[in-house]
Amino acid sequence: MSFVYFIFIPMLAALVIPFLYKKVRGIHTGWFVLAVPVILFSLYTTFLSKVKNGESFTSSFEWIPSLNISVTSYIDGLSLLFSLLITGIGSLVVLYSIFYLDKTREQLHNFYVYLLLFMTAMLGVVQSDHMISLYFFWELTSISSFLLIGYWYKRDRSRFGALKSMMITVFGGLMMLGGFVLLSIMGDTYSIRELIASAPELGNHEWFVWSLILILLGAFTKSAQFPFYIWLPDAMEAPTPVSAYLHSATMVKAGLYLVARFTPIFASSEWWIWLVTGIGLLTLFWGSFFALKQTDLKGILAFSTVSQLGLIMSLLGAGAISFHTGIEEDSIFKYAAFAAIFHLVNHATFKGSLFMIAGIVDHETGTRDIRKLGGLMSMMPISFTIALIGSFSMAGLPPFNGFLSKEMFLTGMLSIQDFNLFAFDTWGILFPIIAWIASVFTFIYSFYFVFRTFTGKHKPDLLPKQAHEAPIGMLISPAILGSLVVAIFFIPNVIGDVLVKPAVVAIQPYLYDVPEDIHIHIKAWHGPNIELWMTIGIVLLGYLLYATLSKWQPLYNKFPQGFTLNRLYDTMMFLSEVGTNRLTRFYMTGFIRSYLVYMFTGIVLLTISTVFIKEAFDISFATLAPIRFYELIIALVLIAGTLTILLAKSRLTSIIALGAVGYSVALFFVIFNAPDLALTQLVIETVSVALFLLAFYHLPKLNRHENRMKFRLGNALVAIGVGVTVTIVALSAHSQKLVPSISSYYEKTVYKEAGGGNIVNVILVDYRGFDTLFEIAVLAIASLGIIALIQLRLTKKKEVNRIEDK
Amino acid sequence: MINLLLFPILLPFFFAMILMLFPKKILAQRTVASTALVLTFGVTLVLLYKVKTNGIQAITLGSWPAPFGISMVSDMLSVLLVLSSTLIALLVVWYSFSSIGKDRESFFYYPGILFMLTGVNGAFTTGDIFNMFVFFEVLLMSSYLLIVLGGEKGQLRESIKYILVNVISSALFVVTVAYLYSVIGTLNMADISVKIAQIDQPGIITVIAVLFLLVFGLKGAIFPLYFWLPSSYAAPPIPVLALFGALLTKVGVYAIMRTYTLFFTLDQGFTHEMLMILSILTIIAGCIGALAYFDVKKIIIYNIIIAVGVILFGASQMNEAALMGSVFYLIHDILIKGALFLLIGVIIAITGTSDLRKMGGLIKTYPMLGWTYLIAAFGLAGIPPLSGFIGKLLIVQGGFEAGNLWGSILILLSSLAVLLSVIRIFIYAFWGETVEIKPLTRQHYRGLFMPAVILVAISVLYGVGSEWLVPYMSDAASVLLEPALYIKAVLGGA
Repeated sequence: MSFVYFIFIPMLAALVIPFLYKKVRGIHTGWFVLAVPVILFSLYTTFLSKVKNGESFTSSFEWIPSLNISVTSYIDGLSLLFSLLITGIGSLVVLYSIFYLDKTREQLHNFYVYLLLFMTAMLGVVQSDHMISLYFFWELTSISSFLLIGYWYKRDRSRFGALKSMMITVFGGLMMLGGFVLLSIMGDTYSIRELIASAPELGNHEWFVWSLILILLGAFTKSAQFPFYIWLPDAMEAPTPVSAYLHSATMVKAGLYLVARFTPIFASSEWWIWLVTGIGLLTLFWGSFFALKQTDLKGILAFSTVSQLGLIMSLLGAGAISFHTGIEEDSIFKYAAFAAIFHLVNHATFKGSLFMIAGIVDHETGTRDIRKLGGLMSMMPISFTIALIGSFSMAGLPPFNGFLSKEMFLTGMLSIQDFNLFAFDTWGILFPIIAWIASVFTFIYSFYFVFRTFTGKHKPDLLPKQAHEAPIGMLISPAILGSLVVAIFFIPNVIGDVLVKPAVVAIQPYLYDVPEDIHIHIKAWHGPNIELWMTIGIVLLGYLLYATLSKWQPLYNKFPQGFTLNRLYDTMMFLSEVGTNRLTRFYMTGFIRSYLVYMFTGIVLLTISTVFIKEAFDISFATLAPIRFYELIIALVLIAGTLTILLAKSRLTSIIALGAVGYSVALFFVIFNAPDLALTQLVIETVSVALFLLAFYHLPKLNRHENRMKFRLGNALVAIGVGVTVTIVALSAHSQKLVPSISSYYEKTVYKEAGGGNIVNVILVDYRGFDTLFEIAVLAIASLGIIALIQLRLTKKKEVNRIEDK
Repeated sequence: MINLLLFPILLPFFFAMILMLFPKKILAQRTVASTALVLTFGVTLVLLYKVKTNGIQAITLGSWPAPFGISMVSDMLSVLLVLSSTLIALLVVWYSFSSIGKDRESFFYYPGILFMLTGVNGAFTTGDIFNMFVFFEVLLMSSYLLIVLGGEKGQLRESIKYILVNVISSALFVVTVAYLYSVIGTLNMADISVKIAQIDQPGIITVIAVLFLLVFGLKGAIFPLYFWLPSSYAAPPIPVLALFGALLTKVGVYAIMRTYTLFFTLDQGFTHEMLMILSILTIIAGCIGALAYFDVKKIIIYNIIIAVGVILFGASQMNEAALMGSVFYLIHDILIKGALFLLIGVIIAITGTSDLRKMGGLIKTYPMLGWTYLIAAFGLAGIPPLSGFIGKLLIVQGGFEAGNLWGSILILLSSLAVLLSVIRIFIYAFWGETVEIKPLTRQHYRGLFMPAVILVAISVLYGVGSEWLVPYMSDAASVLLEPALYIKAVLGGA
């Protein structure tokens, strides 16, 4: 089955959308679009039963077979899980957007074209087995995200956020490409599966760690890990359906996907384990801590997403430890990957629903500012219920799915200290502590999000709109997600068997062959173990801190503003605009004399240093004629003339001196038996001096620029340098005639074959007649230029008028 | 027909001379110029086919044996360059109909373009180092004609700089050829290769190699010789800028690639290392410049410099992947630079300014223009599957294979700077609040937009259809890797 083409269905559909939008104005374009993810979702579900048994499928088409570049769709547990997420959440988001985006006021065709493009891109990312096509789709997600964030392109913040997200994610993408290329050189293939097969050999290669770090840069930028997360909060300028879809459920998980997919290749490296686990945990803490600083509902959710992505990332890192411990040892690390994937699914459900609720609140009240909101519970009871479910799940409370995966996460972090390789046994204790603190903050911001919005005092005068419950259509999608949150808690093992286990096999092929090998059973109740106590601690401390939030929240403003990462980005962008401009203006003076100084300096330095490094200097007097007295005199005249040109106060003197220089060169030609050259030189000198004198009348007064001594010394130095260089190389070249010249051939053939007497003439018109033809052409072109220069003088004003005439 | 390879040079030359006879008949000028270019393009296609099937075409003029006469050589690299240059000239001429204005059209504008193409095609085809100088003179003199044509104040101010620098570089060129001739006594490039191999490239040849790098680097605008380029190129009207930007620096780049693969190959540890360092510095300098301005012309002009660095970085690696990538990227850059200059020409015509800060919201009134520009911008930045990608990928791969990790990573990072510089144009000109503009008439807009769209479409095909190009590119790279092929085609025999 050529399911590789499924990937392109959304893109093809995108071609039709603008026409549908124009022709069928009565129906919201979203209804047509909705068909695409729904159909794809059902197509992908047909794979479920087989993939569940550990089967995998490939389908590909060749793009550039000569360079082994193809688009290969590889469906195994991991890519199928993501494909279902993309199309499933995609369907719900499109449905939601139909009610969210007004069909008369919005440029719907643009919106849906971008969204469908994104869908193709994202499916491509998760299904590509070929690294180049993975990179292609990866960049396409960045581009479609750019377009979606900038959807309201008149807003400054939208444009800013769009550019920021693109710069950071494309940077990561490019680095990732570098890593891919390195991997492909090491493993001699672009196929990820083949690389996995040869993973043990790759580990010894000198570029292994390079490629690892480069690829992680791609994953970390895309999945908004510290310190690259800064684009995600600004991406919230996108319409809310986009935030729910790209910036929470799917695109930001591409980095997680990448880490999961490459785990079998890189798990052997301690760099991988440290970086993925460490950065993940840092991001988890950082995101949850700063979520409480936010006052925008979507801002809170953005930071929460950052934090949750970090959580999953750290689990994937811990999962890689199992590569070293092996399956026999009854370690928890083999569960970490399971927990990661399970939480990834759970996060998609509860965070998706929360984003949609944030959108509903925005839509129905006109603001997302949590300081203006409050007491919406009575007006929006359904939204409140969904928000409550989502938030409690996020906080890790039963009976919601977040509780289950959170417990597994704590188990994973606790066990890291038992790992006795790579110095984890000393530093490992930090992991559960950070995880616990971050969980406390997660608890607080979950409560902050839901209760500050829906309970407390209603402030109708602060709201731009009269608050009321959303239309039923808008509630369908979050309600579906909300019910999944609850359902998964009660039947976790269905999800575990069908979705999670096949994915885990893909991440840990060194442990399992088929999903049945994984003996993990999710239970809500483990008895009173340490994880449970930790959870109770989180709830108690979290509640206490939430209750006193207003007391300590202002502390966030005490953080120095100058050292934030956002400031760093802004500074870099400022440098790239204004800084480069200042720098450029410093050396691009607009004066040709400065440029000539730079250029001549470069020429002199490079040439002279080459002469010295290569010991190319050589001078031999063997073939030289003796210098005669009158030659010396002419040379002196030449030098005197040159100096006069430079030093003369009046232009007339300079011109005459220039003539003297030219005539002395002509004299040299006479002495050295080159009458043709001498004649030519004399004619040229005469004409050019005459012309100069003609033009002389029109020239402005001689005005030597920059008479400062330093400037003139510098110029003199450069000028002397050029002269010396040319002389040195000329002497050396003349002294090293290493190969006999071809000119003897001309001497032999000039009479017999060319039928001419004067060898120079014959060279000009016969041997090298082609040169002469075009030299003459040069003169003709020059004359055209002169005619045009004299006769055609356009002014700017005339120019403009003329264009308008057309 | 053994002299087929001369036609891409002689046809424009011949028609240019004819055009000189009736400068004021604008309609005839346009018709004859386009006919000349279509014919040239057709002949070059035939030549391409011939080179592909029969291998390198070479002829030594006047029936003198090589190396005593002037040899003209058309290998895959040169014929591809000739083909894309002719294509650019054709589309620029079409674009000129609606933009250059009747005054310029009646003052040898079209002959100027044809003469320039003569020089460009000649420089790409010649197998003789002095003859290359002659063709450089032809293209430079025509470019002087084109840059001063119109005589606007800014034009004249910048032309004098342009002419001054190029006269100096021509002088340096002749001097360097003289040095080379003094040492090895021949001018035929294939013969030079043979003779240099005989004497095992002593120090003096390496010095001359560096001088050639500087001579061609002046044309190709590498660091530290690019300074003259940005303001000079910004002076002439858009079609001339497009021609210059797409073609002229490429002649310098081609000449470096040719000389550094054909004959200066025996001291790569020095010469090619220097080439690599200079190309990296070129990229950095180009990136700084591309980000520094809000003038759309300047932004794209600095991107020329970046591309020159990228191509030469590839050329300096001397392995198959990188050289093939360089050829891929060279042709891509001719197409995409032509397209981008024409597109910003449309933007300037619509908004009446080249200052980004005075533009905005064009996407509402000119959506097609916006999307076309965006595609071209992504193509330039090397986003797959557009045209810049494969070349850059291969160059990076070649760089890694040659062990130059940092250089290759820098190439990747330069893509980011390129992207930022061109996306800035999109964000400022097409997004944001709409700025009041006087819309162009439909006919005028089409005349400007169509050539640009066609060029963008070709560049997209170039990227997506890379598969069909690979055989050509690999032929081109194989000649660069194996000078023996070239030498055999010119000198014959062993």
